[in-house]
Amino acid sequence: MQFLKRLFRRLLVVVEAALTRLFGWEWNPIHQAGTVSVLMLVVLLATGLYLVLMYRVGAPAASVARIAADPWLGGWIRTLHRYATDVFVIAAILHAIRIFSQDRSWGPRTIAWISGLFVFGAGMVLAWTGFVMAWDTFGERLAREGGRLLDVLPIFSEPISRIFAGDGAVPNAFFFVNLFIHIALPLGLGVGLWLHVSRVARPALLPPKPLMWGMVGALTIASVVLPAPLGPAANPLHLVTSTPTDVIVAWWLPLSEALSPTMAWGLGILAVVVALFVPRLTRQPRVAGWAPSTVDTRLCTGCNQCPQDCPWEAITMVKRDDDRPTLVAHVDPSLCVSCGICAGSCAPMGVGPPGRSGRDQLSTLRENTFPLLDNAQATPTIAVACAQAPASHLAALRDRGAHVHLVHCVGNLHSSVIELFIRHGAPGVIVFGCPPRDCVGREGPKWLHERLCNAREAELQPRVDKHRVSTGTMAPGDLAGTIRAYEAFRRELDALAPTQREHNIDLDVLCDPVPMEETTA
Amino acid sequence: MNPVRMIIAGAATTALLALIAYGSAAPLPYHTAHDARLRLSWSARPERIEVCRTLSDEELAKLAEHMRQRVACEGVFASYTLRIDVDDQTIDESVIRGAGLRNDRPLYLLRDYPVPPGQHRFRVSLTRREKTDNDAAAFAKAVVPDVDTGLYAGRAQREAIEHSRRAQNAIPPQLMLDTVFSLTAQRVALVTFNAEHRTLELHAESPRR
Repeated sequence: MQFLKRLFRRLLVVVEAALTRLFGWEWNPIHQAGTVSVLMLVVLLATGLYLVLMYRVGAPAASVARIAADPWLGGWIRTLHRYATDVFVIAAILHAIRIFSQDRSWGPRTIAWISGLFVFGAGMVLAWTGFVMAWDTFGERLAREGGRLLDVLPIFSEPISRIFAGDGAVPNAFFFVNLFIHIALPLGLGVGLWLHVSRVARPALLPPKPLMWGMVGALTIASVVLPAPLGPAANPLHLVTSTPTDVIVAWWLPLSEALSPTMAWGLGILAVVVALFVPRLTRQPRVAGWAPSTVDTRLCTGCNQCPQDCPWEAITMVKRDDDRPTLVAHVDPSLCVSCGICAGSCAPMGVGPPGRSGRDQLSTLRENTFPLLDNAQATPTIAVACAQAPASHLAALRDRGAHVHLVHCVGNLHSSVIELFIRHGAPGVIVFGCPPRDCVGREGPKWLHERLCNAREAELQPRVDKHRVSTGTMAPGDLAGTIRAYEAFRRELDALAPTQREHNIDLDVLCDPVPMEETTA
Repeated sequence: MNPVRMIIAGAATTALLALIAYGSAAPLPYHTAHDARLRLSWSARPERIEVCRTLSDEELAKLAEHMRQRVACEGVFASYTLRIDVDDQTIDESVIRGAGLRNDRPLYLLRDYPVPPGQHRFRVSLTRREKTDNDAAAFAKAVVPDVDTGLYAGRAQREAIEHSRRAQNAIPPQLMLDTVFSLTAQRVALVTFNAEHRTLELHAESPRR
């Protein structure tokens, strides 16, 4: 499993970098794989409504042929329906691979993983029934294979395959049941999707508008220019040499046909079981980097900020068990994914994963980083980056004289760290986050920007010169962008007066409505 | 985004869309150009081979009123030997039975045999394996005195008719199709059981939809 994870991670980095080079990180579709899947489901629903109105159970092949022959609406709507299916499958598989390779498939995310598998499986069954509806040679091939597989199960009184033998017309009941499944399953799919995002706060269901309309527009144009061909009407007594097969959706078909039904079922069940057990197989011990956040109740002022910022709804405010009149934050470890966003959201630094709270960040700075900086002739510009940042970008920053300070996620970064850097004499701090929809903590770059620029709670204090602080995006494949952002920041810093190093910096002065201790629980 | 990059991105998008368009209807090989098949497909009830006897009035009297069937039968469902010869060469010989654990469900058959295109002599035979003293007995109308009265009046006669009807619908003890047929490439010659005429038939065309 670890080998697979590493392999996928390496492959994804290459693909992501290539797509970022092509489209820029703002438009990189791979960062939006999950939301693109949902967008395609919306497109499928919209186009499917038209198609189902035009479809006739009594004459499936003829009605679909009539839809396909309509140059004004039917032709491109049918093609768009098919292309959206293809993009859904590609995007859903990419999404699953990303989640798996980024270690986001276990613990509190198990329900999302399992429901995601269900949504994908339901999507595949929907695609299957959709192709059968057309009752062309490909639809018949799929139906025949489905019949072959189902006939080994002791659930039907009469073998289904006999329907397609050719000794009689395929009964309307078959097409009716097929249509019923095709229409009813999206309801279950909706439930699956709701479950999929039920554990996250503020789920992003659709890609950003430019990408969304860009994709829909591009697929629509492709549907007009490159209409999907419809195979000849099915004839069970005619052995066609090939079928116009949607290999993106029915990639499994040649393999399944080559195997005995029992083997095909065995392989399929094995694949599903392995996929279902991924959360168990990829589970990490809840210690060190995976330990859930804890709350130091002595420091918590009950400000209610960490529950608002937590992307996983793992924090709630509960009654205190002492005599203070405020509520206190409570982290549910079964929901906490240890993203550490709460550490950056807490002004008094009372919450966060062990070793990553605001206080831990400050003490690391004082004990490990400052001695290094003090040895330098002049305090360098600080570039804070996410631990996932590409090594080539970090090396480029170091080559340009920056001191690179890595954090688990920029969403963890407490604004006091930036303040401390500057008051310690650093000319400026630039914080590089991952592309907004590529953050493993989901909302790291968003909250960082809000805290540094829009005075969101745990904000960068007014006493810090904002000209000395900047944010940027560090995306694999956009090294030039990283360097450009850094050098532009350096030019801005050059225009400013040198900073004065302060001694005996006391950052806690604003955060003392409650007694504080230097250590977190 | 500068113009050059926009052009490259546009070209890449076009290529991706073309790839999706191709992948959504790629010609996937299925059968070869020289494939032809003989297909057997039917669904029919196997014969019920029974030993029946007429119950005496004393025996009937011991039964609950609704259980009083004049004729009581015990038996099994027939099994058959299917034999297929193409040009006097046997390509299959197997035993087939009705579906279900007790083989009491209809006998469903769906088998495909690859046969080279061309003119062939097809011999398909289905022969009951169980021997009986008198095959015609099953089809003879039972003549039994109708002793039932009241609510169950005429039941014995109805039972006899139903018994006979089932026997009529069942596969006969011996079925044979012996025909010469020219099978063209990429076509299927379909052999079915015509329940009305109680014969095996060969078709070259199927109702389309």
